[in-house]
Amino acid sequence: MNDTLQEQHEWEKEFEAAARRSLRERMRYAFIHTYKPVLDDAPYRAFDTMAQYRQWCKENLPEFLGYGD
Amino acid sequence: MFSYEQGERLAEVFNRWQVEYLFIGKSGAIFYGYPETTQDADIFPNKSPESGAKLIGALRELGYELTPEIEGDLIAGKDFVQLRNGPFDLDLVFAPDGIETFAEAKSRAVIIDHRFPIASLDDIIASKRAANRRKDRESLPRLEAFRDYLRKHNLNALPRNPA
Repeated sequence: MNDTLQEQHEWEKEFEAAARRSLRERMRYAFIHTYKPVLDDAPYRAFDTMAQYRQWCKENLPEFLGYGD
Repeated sequence: MFSYEQGERLAEVFNRWQVEYLFIGKSGAIFYGYPETTQDADIFPNKSPESGAKLIGALRELGYELTPEIEGDLIAGKDFVQLRNGPFDLDLVFAPDGIETFAEAKSRAVIIDHRFPIASLDDIIASKRAANRRKDRESLPRLEAFRDYLRKHNLNALPRNPA
């Protein structure tokens, strides 16, 4: 089995496992607090346009968060 | 963190204030059963001054501390508002990438558990594809595989087994 097929097979097993849980359980496992530097350091931010928000992310967030290109 | 109970509370309060909205993004996909983790709830509210006033009332009732500046931004219709000053982290995405209008997204949306309005998985995927951030590109193959899994099994969402 090549890597892509193996990955698809593993994902399918994860989806099947998720199907055995209730929505309440899924949400308990899904929403976790992971501190994101800069992003979580202000109680409030607003941007006129999504383009401005994307630009702010590129310029201010650490690259490892994945908000850039 | 955002719990099922907080989701119920949000849905109840938003409905009472007649806020038109959809869950979107990864948090929306999680309602369909997508096994992934995230920190915040992403909401796509209908954007208008009237909706903004209702949204302010609902957010206050949920426990968000809304300054005059925040209220002004919600009424003015900023495209993106991020709140970290309430019971759970909330991103309000008034103009998600890749989705033309709220009305169109609403027409394709799915109601999960009789109370949670969720943007269609196709719209969630389209939005991530259009945003095209590194984290979106990395997440798309698995999210598309999840959509295909649901289609293969003729499901709108994974079964919602009793808690």
